[in-house]
Amino acid sequence: MAATGEAPAESRHYIVQRVRQALAHDERTNELDLTVSVNGDKVFITGTVPTTERRDAIAVVAREVLPDHEVHNHVTLYETAEPTDGEDLS
Amino acid sequence: MIRIAAVADIHFGADSSGMLRAQFEDLTHHADMLLVAGDLTKCGGPDEGAVVARELTGLPVPVVAVLGNHDYHSDEQATVRSHLEDAGVTVLEGETTTVDVDGARVGIAGTKGFGGGFAGACGTDFGEPEMKAFVRHTMALAEGLEHGLRSLEGCDVRVALLHYSPVRDTLAGERAEIFPFLGSYLLAEAVDHAGADLALHGHAHAGVEKGVTPGGVLVRNVAQPVIKHAYNVYTFEPSRALHADAHA
Ligand SMILES: [Fe+2]
Ligand SMILES: [Fe+2]
Repeated sequence: MAATGEAPAESRHYIVQRVRQALAHDERTNELDLTVSVNGDKVFITGTVPTTERRDAIAVVAREVLPDHEVHNHVTLYETAEPTDGEDLS
Repeated sequence: MIRIAAVADIHFGADSSGMLRAQFEDLTHHADMLLVAGDLTKCGGPDEGAVVARELTGLPVPVVAVLGNHDYHSDEQATVRSHLEDAGVTVLEGETTTVDVDGARVGIAGTKGFGGGFAGACGTDFGEPEMKAFVRHTMALAEGLEHGLRSLEGCDVRVALLHYSPVRDTLAGERAEIFPFLGSYLLAEAVDHAGADLALHGHAHAGVEKGVTPGGVLVRNVAQPVIKHAYNVYTFEPSRALHADAHA
């Protein structure tokens, strides 16, 4: 994979936003609550999503936007166990 | 005891079917009702509305919901709402409902709510039509919420069910720059003016669970990435009046 070297801070800024826009609008993800950061030719994505399909789609969408970057998908899955007890608010 | 289960931001898509069904079917072991604080779908498509409606249909406890911003994205919110209603879910927008639990009455006033920010650092209905429309949308929904909560006076427990946050407290962990897109103090003001026992919201996936309005009403952010369970449960002892009746 071709490295782009250290991008200037300004272009890094717009790269982050291009990925975030794609993740929000792409129907495979529609995720607005992810954190995207760019370091050189590496892109890191964190956050939590409901399904493995959507977690995997995040990397696919990001790679489509930035084919010359290395995408690190650190997104985790929702935890959905039943609660063990309630909180008394009275 | 009144037991209220609540969750938000389940963001159902075609890939979500069955994700919460077993936990929902088991609700009677934990709660007397399920409140869903918006963002039931990924992007508000009719197909997603149908999937989440199937997940919520025929549950052993009453289900009450408000929609969230994601449920509006495809401009099919009316279709999403009717899928939910056909599945027996009560959907609130400026409306109220009551649920009876062993002779105690729980009143729920619901609205999606909207943004604008928080006292000292918020939008004002001033200037361009787009800015006025943004802030006035929140103002109108807050007014409906206040009216709804007032109409529930006399209930043993009153709950404000929102998608957007009424307070800053539960946004800790979110970036401060986006607070105006996460909620509005106008929602807290409505809750404080009318009075309530609990305000539930979602939307702030990176926020925290617990907060309180300036007037002292408890706030809980039940976004699923925050509560990290299928739902959280909040309990209330019935009011003193009911106790007196019960022990008379
Ligand atoms: Fe959400
Ligand atoms: Fe939301």
